[in-house]
Amino acid sequence: MRRRRQHFFGWELVLVLFLLSCRLTGVSLPLLARRGGHFGDIALRLFPPDWGYAPRVLPLLWATVQMSVTGTFLGSLLALLAAPFCAGTLPGPRLDKRLCRGIIQVLRAFPALILALLATFLFGLTSFSGAAAITVYTFSIMTRLTYEDLENAPAAPFQALRAMGVSSAKAYFRALVPAVAPSYLTNVLYLLETNVRHSAILGYVGAGGVGLVLNEKVSWREYEKVGAILFLLFLTVCAIEGLSARLTSAILSERKLSRRGRRLLAAAAAILGVLCTVSLQPPDFSHASSALLRNMLAGFAHPAPSLLLSTSSEGVAALLLETACIALAGTGLGTLAAIPLVFLSSARIVPAPLAAAVRTVILAIRSVPFLIHGLIFIRVTGPGSFAGVLTLAVCSLGLLCKRFHQAIDSADFRPVRALEAMGIPPLPRLLRGLIPQLRPAFASAVLYRFDVNLREAAVLGLVGAGGIGAPLIFAMNQYAWSQASALALGLIVLTWAVDTASARLRRRLAQSRSA
Amino acid sequence: MVQLETRQLCKTYPSGVQALEDVGFTLERGTFLSVIGPSGAGKTTLFRILNGMERADSGQVLHAGQRFEQARGRKRRAIQKTIGTIYQDFCLVEQLDCLQNVLNAALPDMNLLTGSLGLFPKDRREEAEALLEQVGLGDKRFASVQELSGGQKQRVAIARALMRRPALLLADEPVASLDPVTGRQIVELLRNIQQRQGVTVLMNSHNLELARTYSDRLLGLREGRVVFDGPPDALDADALFRVYGGRSA
Repeated sequence: MRRRRQHFFGWELVLVLFLLSCRLTGVSLPLLARRGGHFGDIALRLFPPDWGYAPRVLPLLWATVQMSVTGTFLGSLLALLAAPFCAGTLPGPRLDKRLCRGIIQVLRAFPALILALLATFLFGLTSFSGAAAITVYTFSIMTRLTYEDLENAPAAPFQALRAMGVSSAKAYFRALVPAVAPSYLTNVLYLLETNVRHSAILGYVGAGGVGLVLNEKVSWREYEKVGAILFLLFLTVCAIEGLSARLTSAILSERKLSRRGRRLLAAAAAILGVLCTVSLQPPDFSHASSALLRNMLAGFAHPAPSLLLSTSSEGVAALLLETACIALAGTGLGTLAAIPLVFLSSARIVPAPLAAAVRTVILAIRSVPFLIHGLIFIRVTGPGSFAGVLTLAVCSLGLLCKRFHQAIDSADFRPVRALEAMGIPPLPRLLRGLIPQLRPAFASAVLYRFDVNLREAAVLGLVGAGGIGAPLIFAMNQYAWSQASALALGLIVLTWAVDTASARLRRRLAQSRSA
Repeated sequence: MVQLETRQLCKTYPSGVQALEDVGFTLERGTFLSVIGPSGAGKTTLFRILNGMERADSGQVLHAGQRFEQARGRKRRAIQKTIGTIYQDFCLVEQLDCLQNVLNAALPDMNLLTGSLGLFPKDRREEAEALLEQVGLGDKRFASVQELSGGQKQRVAIARALMRRPALLLADEPVASLDPVTGRQIVELLRNIQQRQGVTVLMNSHNLELARTYSDRLLGLREGRVVFDGPPDALDADALFRVYGGRSA
């Protein structure tokens, strides 16, 4: 009895919060119905793409790929070295580990774009800045994922080596690293995929790559050129996803590779990583000075109290609330849209050609960087948080559909067929036979996407779609470091709170699944 | 010559469980000693103190005359390097192949970089291959540990322990996860190694019959105390009662 009540309460709370967020962010279905057609208009104007423009895009696209490869390579390598200092199950002082985990948590609060802006102050308007930002971004995520894996890996082989007199460092590399390697490499590949999309927008703050021209062409409404850029980006994303899918299946030993093949592959990856790193555009230190650095540090050490405590709409509290609401409403709307879409894209439920068509559309939506979606939605609904909500809703579709899809593929269809045999019509059949099986997987996917959306909501302000991002970036661009510090502090607290809450929810989900 | 000696070892866990109480014994070089006793008698605690995974609250552990419980850092590791250990759950790195697991035992002799990257010298590789041959797994060198049976895994673990050229082999319930036939083969292998190479063996065992058949000496623990110490022949009904209480073996 008790469990049931708790469950019910959880759902109700989420629903109420979602509706409140929709209100606060000005979600308006009539407005969407009236103006939603414009999204389609703009999308259609991307075709036919201006192929003549393509040759000018290619070098920028290469810089984008280079930034993501370098960042992923260096960031994951550093994470492998940092993770053991965070993992609670490994020997070492408890306090140090807490400190290390705290630092990672703080780093994780910053979206790649904010890091890139910070990097441009130090390394100039070069793709080196972009690579540095992606490195830090990858490092924070990979360290977190890896230390969690380390904590779950069997400790016995490590301790056995320690008992033989092997030092901790050597025992770590030889006993624990092989144990977490498959999951580590899978994560690296996944991050490489997402980093390509992230790098594509870094140009927005001048950190190199294709982002700058993309922004420029959207602003000038040269949609045919935008179409060409997006199409090339789509091809790049597809290529990298295809590569990563093949490599992932090799890592998970679904495909057999000879020892020689494995070594060649590892060597090729290492060479590519090093090559991208050394051929990167060198940093430009001409604008960085020790005075700038001093001001920056002093400002960050003294967050502006007026901004922190203010209750006005420009205060940290109000901005954080707006950001959280945009993320929540966006995730909610995205989920509502994804559920019918995923059933339409599953070949087990609808005819195969229709499923394939829907899947292609989802992939195309997913390959467009979220900031570009934001720029387009601004044209649809006008600036404001509603545009942000719509952006996040659309951007959530890709991941949610993918994860929902996996859940449906692994579901047990026998109960559905049993209901069918009893003559029960399709909708109740699915509702009673399939949905209960899918609920835990769906819930964890939504939770994860909310986490991502929160970080993206913090950047949406850049294109005028609401949230804490705009004031933060303005403050940084005006060298108002103490203001920036106050806003950053707010962002850190918000992501920490959401992390803690979602960890608790996930634990509960895991319990209800095992119960 | 005495290989291993303990004096008045005591250990109480934070939970209040007294695992060892005044445990003292000496082990001559080249002996096969089995530690027997019911579950919770303190066998595993004793084993973990002897190989350094845990520390006793008081008492002394002497490995070849050196005070182990007082040694720290490098000196402690230097003593640990001379001990080969075998575990119930094998403690192998499942993702690596057999050869790499055996080679892991060469890590204490290597520097950080070559050790971490697994760049072992040729002579150590040949040595590891020879040891795998010796335990009967010459053809499984490049097989992943995941693909092996329990008995094969324990053989790899034994090869790994031998790779240290140990004077003392500590084995914690080496056959508890194995079927009876495989278990007997593993204890036979240990006995073989002890007799041929003069290695001292200390084995914890649940399996009284195997312990009696293959050991030179038995040490009976009950509730953390030594209640029997003598050759297998001396373990009569009376002594059995002292070790296992009402339960007969």
